[in-house]
Amino acid sequence: MPAISSRRFFYVQVVVVTLAAGLMLVPLLWVLILSLKDSAALMSDTASAFSPPYTLENYANIIGGQQVSTWLLNSTIVSLAMTAGVLLLSSLAGYGFSRLEFPGRDALFVIVLLGLAIPEQAVIIGRHQLFSAISMHNSYTALVVPGLSMPFGVFLMTQYFRAIPLEIDEAARLDGASRFRIFWRILLPLTIPAQATLGIFTFFQAWNDYWWPLVSATNHDMLTLTVGIASTQVNFAQAEGLGFLMAQAVFAGAPMLLIYVIFQKYIVRAVAGAAGK
Amino acid sequence: MAGVEMACVSKRFGDVLVIDKVSLEVQAGEFIVFLGPSGCGKSTLLRMIAGLETVDDGTIHIGEQRVDTLPPGKRDVAMVFQHYALYPHMTIKENLAFGLKNRRVPASEISARVEAAASSLEIGDFLERRPGQLSGGQRQRAAIARAIVKQPSLFLFDEPLSNLDAALRARTRIELAQLHQQLGTTMIFVTHDQVEAMTLADRIVVLHDHRIEQIGTPMEIYRRPATKFVASFVGTPKINIVELTAAKNGAMTTAALPDGTALETCIPWNASFAETGTTLGLRPEAIRVVAQGEGTAAGRAKVVERLGERTLIYAELSDGTMLTTEDRGDSQVRPDDMIGLSIDSSNAVIFTNEGRAHHGTQVSN
Amino acid sequence: MLFVMPYLCLFILMLIVPLAMGIRLSFTRGDLFGIKEFVGLENYARLLADPVFLRTVWNTVYFVILTVPSLTIAGLLLALALNRETRWAAIMRGIFFASFVLSVTVVTLIWRLVLIPNGGLAGVIAKAFGAEPISFLGDQNWAMLSIAMTTIWWGIGLPMVLFLAALQQVPRDLYEAAALDNASRSRMLFAITLPAISRTIALVLVIEIILQFQLFGQPQLMTSGGPNNSTRPIVLFIYESGWSQWQLGYASAAAQILFALIAMVAMVQYRISSRKESR
Repeated sequence: MPAISSRRFFYVQVVVVTLAAGLMLVPLLWVLILSLKDSAALMSDTASAFSPPYTLENYANIIGGQQVSTWLLNSTIVSLAMTAGVLLLSSLAGYGFSRLEFPGRDALFVIVLLGLAIPEQAVIIGRHQLFSAISMHNSYTALVVPGLSMPFGVFLMTQYFRAIPLEIDEAARLDGASRFRIFWRILLPLTIPAQATLGIFTFFQAWNDYWWPLVSATNHDMLTLTVGIASTQVNFAQAEGLGFLMAQAVFAGAPMLLIYVIFQKYIVRAVAGAAGK
Repeated sequence: MAGVEMACVSKRFGDVLVIDKVSLEVQAGEFIVFLGPSGCGKSTLLRMIAGLETVDDGTIHIGEQRVDTLPPGKRDVAMVFQHYALYPHMTIKENLAFGLKNRRVPASEISARVEAAASSLEIGDFLERRPGQLSGGQRQRAAIARAIVKQPSLFLFDEPLSNLDAALRARTRIELAQLHQQLGTTMIFVTHDQVEAMTLADRIVVLHDHRIEQIGTPMEIYRRPATKFVASFVGTPKINIVELTAAKNGAMTTAALPDGTALETCIPWNASFAETGTTLGLRPEAIRVVAQGEGTAAGRAKVVERLGERTLIYAELSDGTMLTTEDRGDSQVRPDDMIGLSIDSSNAVIFTNEGRAHHGTQVSN
Repeated sequence: MLFVMPYLCLFILMLIVPLAMGIRLSFTRGDLFGIKEFVGLENYARLLADPVFLRTVWNTVYFVILTVPSLTIAGLLLALALNRETRWAAIMRGIFFASFVLSVTVVTLIWRLVLIPNGGLAGVIAKAFGAEPISFLGDQNWAMLSIAMTTIWWGIGLPMVLFLAALQQVPRDLYEAAALDNASRSRMLFAITLPAISRTIALVLVIEIILQFQLFGQPQLMTSGGPNNSTRPIVLFIYESGWSQWQLGYASAAAQILFALIAMVAMVQYRISSRKESR
């Protein structure tokens, strides 16, 4: 391959891609500087965002205020509970589907796999009626339980358990370990990478879930942060405080971006794995 | 230390019969090798002794105890797996200790046993590492050590050397033999490699098509194979098996090769030799290369394979029959040379068309 | 069986039962009080004659056409450019994927603040150049394009990482062999890289179609489906007939139609996925 043109080609790529990345960041930066402005100043002209004075007042208001911290707490509880639940259920089911013999096992697994193709839209009305019937809306249970039925985790864990050689189980059986001890001491620790992937994936899904919490949590104190942000956007035109609104956006987005930066590898793997199913 | 007794053991997977009424007695302290091609059922048989496969029919005793209904952990056996099956998330030390902990062995004794096994297998330096950080050979040793610490009454090996490179395989083979001498424990070893079987075994059990083909010491198996299958499965290079025209010669048999060469054998005549499909087995070392014009037969060298201490010559007889023959290491024969062949028929074997072997009356070793 | 039971219960309770309820509802005239008069296929017949619904189907298809090819091509180009082990490439990958982790509400909030004519970034820039700011979200011609733009910004990371994963699977020795055969850079791309990841290209297309078919949050939050229904997709239609007008039967029927459409695409995905094994 001709070295010179290849080098020039590379530089063109670097410039184009870097510029595109810059464009990607523009909206984020815009929101960031808006959030650092006094709302009153923005009312007259948002172009003032490009010049000082800047203030952290909006953030102070958020942290001081009841509303957003309640939502944040709700989001945290719901996301953690759903993550823990999915990990537990998927691990158990994954072990069952990969290691235990029972009649109809393979057929059941195929049915669960078919569940992957059911979109949320097809079940959300039924779910809503279900929770209405038992008067369970506006509860953590209602926010968490539907998410636990997602087949992806079971699929992922079953695949992962299947990839562990049977020899390992057999060695443990010869070592006199009980079935539960093999699951708990030998196989489960071996699935930690998959647990991490699935856990982070589920956490993100739960945190960013929009439609279900939107229709199930109607009580203002039960909103998740994602839905809460939407509820304040409705009053957007009045601009009750653009700066405040933007600070909320940053506040809601920053934790996800932070987790993303820390767990980038796992997240990317989780997403690629989830899509490639 | 205990013997193993299997009586009429059968196993099927669905409709497929994988073990067909196998009976076998292993003496206490013996080193037994199950030898056979893949799919013959040898691993299944081993796994049935271990308790990893259920027994559909028949009984298995280890020592005085009937074990075929016991779970694997209660059979007092230890197994070394083909892929070692070390627990990847545990250190080597934890790997060795796991089985002992399950049996509630006191901690002080566990560490003493682990130390002893580690030092005898020279893996003391790796005890804190995980399997993934070890080389194949080191993992192999760790897997053997994990079996030893349990001080079982029976060791089972499922093709444990097949993942090692040739040099390491040879070394580990010798170490296993030494280990057996040291411990004196009964060992059952599964392999498809006849060299491993010949070098390690007190007795070899040759399995073929889900049943036992022959049981015998390595030399019995080599010299007096019970069937055509055993004869051709054991021995490198492979035994020559050629068409034969047999004739009665007093009480004995005269065998004529396809090119007409007649060999006097000491194999008692049997009427079934007259049937078509009867063949003659001649080990390559029984056919020596001599100068052209000498010897019992003549042929043309096609391929010359130098092994150092000896030379293999693939010779073609006048009718096109190929024979593997042997010459000295410094053989002067070159491809396409005409050569003479001196055939020693004292260890020749005649196979009936059903594959049953008939041997000579006098055994020369 | 004991291990599988807990999940199976939830699977049936939260997925199969609601699905069955939804299908049943779609044959009834249900409202807020759950009155269920069996009406057979009436809801479906009404839907197919409802100009608003047909408009939402077209809007959804239009949105898919706007976003899926762009996402796929841009994702592929980015993956090709960033499939190297340099610090720069790692940072770029990080940036392009980052927006994907944000929730739809944050994304729409950000983009409204960019797109609104009064005080939005676009407006500020337009003013700086002395131009009249465009009302991107209030103009029929621009609204869907703006939503598509927002969606591409939000979702570009997904096709990129899928393609990156595929590119890493292409055996290196193929390139070495091609280099020995004196193949040019573009020939390597077309003769080796693209064929090697063809399955992934198809998969990305299908995944993106399914994903973008479910467009909901962006128009709901940015335009409320307007102006003049020009950005109302099927899912928003379902949401509004279900939760604003409480015509649950009607909404369920629309949901089943959407499910059928998605299931058809998912079938294609399944075909592609299982082709891997037969190779």
